[in-house]
Amino acid sequence: MFIMFAAGKNMARTKKDRHIQKAPHFIGFLPQGIQKNSGTEVIINFEEYEALKLCDYELMTQAEAAILMNISRPTFTRIYESVRRKIAKAFVEGSGIQFEGGNVAMMHWYKCTNCKISFSLPDASENSCPFCKSADLIHNI
Amino acid sequence: MIVVIATNENNLDAEVALHFGRCGWYCLYFKESQTTEFIENIDRDKEEKAGTAAAEFLLGKNISMVVAGRFGSKVVNIFRNNKVQMVIPETSKNIKEIINQINI
Repeated sequence: MFIMFAAGKNMARTKKDRHIQKAPHFIGFLPQGIQKNSGTEVIINFEEYEALKLCDYELMTQAEAAILMNISRPTFTRIYESVRRKIAKAFVEGSGIQFEGGNVAMMHWYKCTNCKISFSLPDASENSCPFCKSADLIHNI
Repeated sequence: MIVVIATNENNLDAEVALHFGRCGWYCLYFKESQTTEFIENIDRDKEEKAGTAAAEFLLGKNISMVVAGRFGSKVVNIFRNNKVQMVIPETSKNIKEIINQINI
């Protein structure tokens, strides 16, 4: 009982997967004209990249973008604030930016937890893992 | 069925390459005869559209599945339109491991 209590206290709730339409097709940015980089790179998660893209590039409202990413509006605002602060930090301090990680589910891609792979399904009727043929997939719409 | 595995070296112990278009070699695995063939990626140093060129070259070989660490957005569209399945391993794996998984 005590162990359960302690574990429950220290463990953060697992984050729900945020849906993203497309990952960036490059891995990051480097500042120009500095001799030595500061050593600290700013890491932007894929969900943060997606939040910034939906809001400031595709000019959606936060509520619309939140629905598309399958998260609540307050959560969206939190992610959006976080990415803006990270970008400001990189700009001011002249550090590089790297896109990495996050709790995301790519649209139109599927995951097999057994084989630890992600894959596309060219034939929608065939709903199984290409390797182990298991139909137990994580489905991203 | 022909499976293409993107890699940087031409041996079976090599790991799956991180990027489809810019990898050094493609390992073609013929499932029926259980044989492999390595083809060098001659388009890898192109400034633009290396992946597109490679994808079109491989499509001529009648492939049905491609394994790589990452695919560019143009390549994803080409493979989707031609009904080729794309597979991304979540942990780094070598060619032998992938072939073993295909044969399960």
